[in-house]
Amino acid sequence: MKVSRREFIKSQAAVAAAAAAGVTLPATTQLMAAQGDEGIRWDKAPCRFCGTGCSVLVGVEGDRVVASQGDPDAPVNRGLNCIKGYFLPKIMYGKDRLTQPLLRKKNGQYDKNGDFEPVSWDEAFDVMAAKWKEAMKKEGGPSRVGIFGSGQWTVWEGYAASKLMKAGLRSNNLDPNARHCMASAVVAFMRHFGIDEPMGCYDDLEHADVFVLWGANMAEMHPILWSRLTDTRLTKEGCEVHVLSTFENRCFELADNPIVFEPQTDLAIQNYICNYIIQNGHVNKDFVDKHVNFKRTAENIGYGLRPNHPLEQAATNNGYPDSNKAGEKKGDPMASAPITFEEFAKLVEPYTLDYVAKLSKVPKDKLEWLAKVYADPKKKVVSFWTMGFNQHTRGSWVNGNMYNVHLLVGKISEPGNGPFSLTGQPSACGTAREVGTFAHRLPADLVVMNPEHRAFAEKIWQLPEGTINPGIGYHAVLMHRMLKDGKMNCYWQQCNNNMQAAPNMNEESYPGWRNPDNFIAVSDPYPTVSAQAADLILPTAMWTEKEGAYGNAERRTQFWRQQVKAPGESRSDVWQTMEFAKRFLVDEVWPEELLAKKPEYRGKTLYEVLFTNGVVDKFPYEGKVVDDRGNQYANDESEHFGYYVQKGLFEEYRLFNSAPDIIKKGHEMAEFETYHQNRGLRWPVIDGKETLWRFREGFDPHVNAATNPAVAKGDVLFYGNKDGKANVIFAPYDAPPETPDKDYPLWLCTGRVLEHWHSGSMTRRVPELYKAVPDAQLFMNRKDAQKLKLRDGQLAKIVSRRGEITARVETRGRNRMPEGMVYLPWFDSGRLVNKLTLDTTCPLSKETDFKKCAVKVEKA
Amino acid sequence: MNICSLVVHARPERVPAVAERLDALPGVEVHGRGEGRLVITVEDTAETLAADTLAAVNAVNGVISTALIYHYGGGALDEPLLEEEHS
Repeated sequence: MKVSRREFIKSQAAVAAAAAAGVTLPATTQLMAAQGDEGIRWDKAPCRFCGTGCSVLVGVEGDRVVASQGDPDAPVNRGLNCIKGYFLPKIMYGKDRLTQPLLRKKNGQYDKNGDFEPVSWDEAFDVMAAKWKEAMKKEGGPSRVGIFGSGQWTVWEGYAASKLMKAGLRSNNLDPNARHCMASAVVAFMRHFGIDEPMGCYDDLEHADVFVLWGANMAEMHPILWSRLTDTRLTKEGCEVHVLSTFENRCFELADNPIVFEPQTDLAIQNYICNYIIQNGHVNKDFVDKHVNFKRTAENIGYGLRPNHPLEQAATNNGYPDSNKAGEKKGDPMASAPITFEEFAKLVEPYTLDYVAKLSKVPKDKLEWLAKVYADPKKKVVSFWTMGFNQHTRGSWVNGNMYNVHLLVGKISEPGNGPFSLTGQPSACGTAREVGTFAHRLPADLVVMNPEHRAFAEKIWQLPEGTINPGIGYHAVLMHRMLKDGKMNCYWQQCNNNMQAAPNMNEESYPGWRNPDNFIAVSDPYPTVSAQAADLILPTAMWTEKEGAYGNAERRTQFWRQQVKAPGESRSDVWQTMEFAKRFLVDEVWPEELLAKKPEYRGKTLYEVLFTNGVVDKFPYEGKVVDDRGNQYANDESEHFGYYVQKGLFEEYRLFNSAPDIIKKGHEMAEFETYHQNRGLRWPVIDGKETLWRFREGFDPHVNAATNPAVAKGDVLFYGNKDGKANVIFAPYDAPPETPDKDYPLWLCTGRVLEHWHSGSMTRRVPELYKAVPDAQLFMNRKDAQKLKLRDGQLAKIVSRRGEITARVETRGRNRMPEGMVYLPWFDSGRLVNKLTLDTTCPLSKETDFKKCAVKVEKA
Repeated sequence: MNICSLVVHARPERVPAVAERLDALPGVEVHGRGEGRLVITVEDTAETLAADTLAAVNAVNGVISTALIYHYGGGALDEPLLEEEHS
């Protein structure tokens, strides 16, 4: 038998797929695959894209990644990959990869209106540091500068940035793009449970009887989880799938109970379910009595718009400065007041089937079926949600209302029962949420507003008391407003594409970035929309061009080794952050009173104080990284700085979540080396053992009947809150701030598509993915199109109060829109949907609502 | 040169019909099938690119979801790897 390399690789491919599917192949295929060696070095790495956290095997030939396969040993994806994951290696090899720093110049000098010219890293950082120092001399000091980071940062990239900003420059103007993505989820976790991130895990995908999708198009956005869910639905008797969305998406193909509801009425549907549970006697009384407090949230909280907006002037609890009382604020949108169960029951009583069916435009039988599955004590229910809840002007409420439903019936923290907030980005959890990259946070759920938390962080970071700024920094949307208003002057974006991602580009983002008083730096592998709007572009190493760590939506921390070298002068974000720290003397950025408390820091650079502090630089680098099979890998950061950078940063970070004196238990992680040897572990990790379901005795080592007499076998203890209880917090239905009217008669919703990752800066450079979905289409209902005399494929103009763009009409595609609503994805840099969107946020989480604004459509 | 493998999900009773439709696509080979699942490879042919074929696979009537498993995207693969005589 003559086996060509092509046949051989094909048989390898078939065998891998068969193993993943549990299918037996003909003997000849297996025989062929067993012969020879394909000449490829394989190693594991988590996928670069969504929050699922699939592991892929990366095949390297020479210094190039040439192949990939779903990792058969990965508990998350069990050998499967989605189409983006499958083309992963190609994201590194786009033709227009940036390979050297580029600075806007005229006549050899930096000039905001100049053209981009190649410069050295030294010149790039010299100019940038001079701009930062100049800005910090203005009124407000450290609040003049900021970093905008990412849920796609590796754990140590986020940690290093957090340390540079909060410990070094004493500015809390650090926020991640995760603000646009899951800030509402975080607020709800903290308000209801006192600790962030889901209590359950992906194993629930096999344990549940009923799946309810609320504003999560898993079929496109979490395809591997969707394939596990599909498997359960098709093989488990009695399994049901309920899908709620504001339009029909691909998940509807599997839906037993498909529900299209009027935008924003999810809040009312949830309260109807609570009311149904109470009215029909299905409250789990034992559970509620022992484990639940009842509260009601502050109302009339505004919409996160600028303070001069009429809706904010009318709001009484938006937390903005009160123009009538100097120095006072208008209430607090985060506030809640204790109530009794009976009062809660009264508050949800108006949400009757009749009222909610009319408001949501959902048939009564569908609503009742949905309520019944939550109420039925015999049915195990998992609720999944993503951006439909999070990107919502009441995002924190609608997340919280889901917890209300699950807590009333006690369906939580056990196999197959639980509310599950899915995450959009690969390390929105592991990095953005966990290492303190939000404007109010420090590592491990600690916050800058709490003096005890600041003191603890200052101790670990070896800082004089009072170093950390107690004031909350600017969040993502506020950063753009402050840039436009000239109150923030230096902005460094890493690992995302916020000019394309942020709302209201015409009125806020673009004028902010191009304000002549401001200096904008963008670190990216590609010339994105952001890079082109910047003043300095820094070429960046990506994915397996560096050693990394991500944490996914089920609390799983996963590591990878550097597989190949980055092209040209590209450097990783952690390299850039640490090198930039060398440009600042402590004496330049700290006041005398702080220096006096630590005189030994005088004359040192921030790099020395923050990174060669005896902890981060503790682990020697042996010139290579070796795996358990003897394969060797480079580590460019460690080579450059002279110590094992990633290990030092991770072990210092562990002092926040795993040392004996930590403030908040529950985030414990294993030692650095452990994660290189396995497919990740779900925290809390105690004695090397991961935790699948938190808060439940028998699963979570922090809830132990043997050592805690107050805990019974199999009982729950919500230890994130001091009283060990979770909160049910009543939140009502509130109308959105901008609704369709006679001038702008259609709802616009934006979001992602399966084939592209976020703004498309990587996936649109993969020829196969580009070809599969080259341009964003305007999905609309056929009747709406007919009214406008628009046919499929025709160019339409989409206009909002803030801007206009064009796109081709699609009435028969993968999304089937109800009348009165259009969908336009945001991946396409050729038609920037954020010229249309409104910068309205949830007033609690400050996360933008990208799902609802009013537009009109015309023939282009 | 692209070679890839996929697991295709279909309702169990529709697996045979789906297999037949998939087999008819250029560059597609059905290697095996199980309860509600098929294992296929997709490769570039002289006329088609694997990526287009993948889209076609997803569009096949009866396919609920597809999961990609393996991808090779390196250079051309015409050189023989092994020669073995079977009697």
